[in-house]
Amino acid sequence: RAFWGGPSRKEDRVVEADQAAPEKEERSEPSLICPPPRSRSYFPPEDLQSCLESHVREVFGPSLPEDWQQTPLQENRLKHRLLARLAAELGHAVPNSQLHQMRRAGDVLGFYRTPVKDGSKIDELAAADLPPNLKIIWQQ
Amino acid sequence: RYVRQLQRLQLLFSPTAADARGARQFVEEAAQDFARQHPDVVLYVSPHKGPGPAPVLRAEYLNGTVREELIASKTSEEIVQLATKMANQSGLDIIRIRKPFHTDNPSIQGQWHPLTNKPSILTVQGPRLQPQ
Repeated sequence: RAFWGGPSRKEDRVVEADQAAPEKEERSEPSLICPPPRSRSYFPPEDLQSCLESHVREVFGPSLPEDWQQTPLQENRLKHRLLARLAAELGHAVPNSQLHQMRRAGDVLGFYRTPVKDGSKIDELAAADLPPNLKIIWQQ
Repeated sequence: RYVRQLQRLQLLFSPTAADARGARQFVEEAAQDFARQHPDVVLYVSPHKGPGPAPVLRAEYLNGTVREELIASKTSEEIVQLATKMANQSGLDIIRIRKPFHTDNPSIQGQWHPLTNKPSILTVQGPRLQPQ
């Protein structure tokens, strides 16, 4: 019973898969190729300091020391709120490995000031000025 | 006028292999200086993706000889020295030169060398640049 039921089930599954696949291909008109990963490059905007200050005041409310850069980020909820808002606005999030280093608002400011470059050194070299007898053959 | 016998240098390496670290450092730091110091040699840097053959520096000379030298696990300075050595060579094969003649008495009055018939003070003080 199970033996005779096996092949027929497989045939049903094969038929169902074939029917499902062309339907999916017909529905999704854009190509099925995996899109390229999003670029991780980040350049700090000019009004970074004022933007950060406004966010800090928004999240922390009244309890702020005189220099807003010295506000300690001890409370995890407020820290998460601040970092989530900054990530959503600037499009660049603090990685988990550096969360423990963000102890004051000044640290967050320093992190968001460093630009992040996307691409390997060979790409940079190929784009930079080279002497006329140095050729770099790199396809990407 | 001096004509450099080295035509082109091809640097074939992988951007991810561990033994090509010196080659990568050479490309990042010293390749531009080398290219500027030797303007008559063309330097091709061709990294190939994925695991491939060992990193190699290929030199092609004007008489057609192609010489390949392994640069696996070599530092950037060593690769610079190797490249300058190959740039100063000619394309002749590096083998023992055999000549069809032989003498038991090659010289009667003494073999000439650049200090014969010169004042003997030159052996102590060496050559001096002539002020122009």
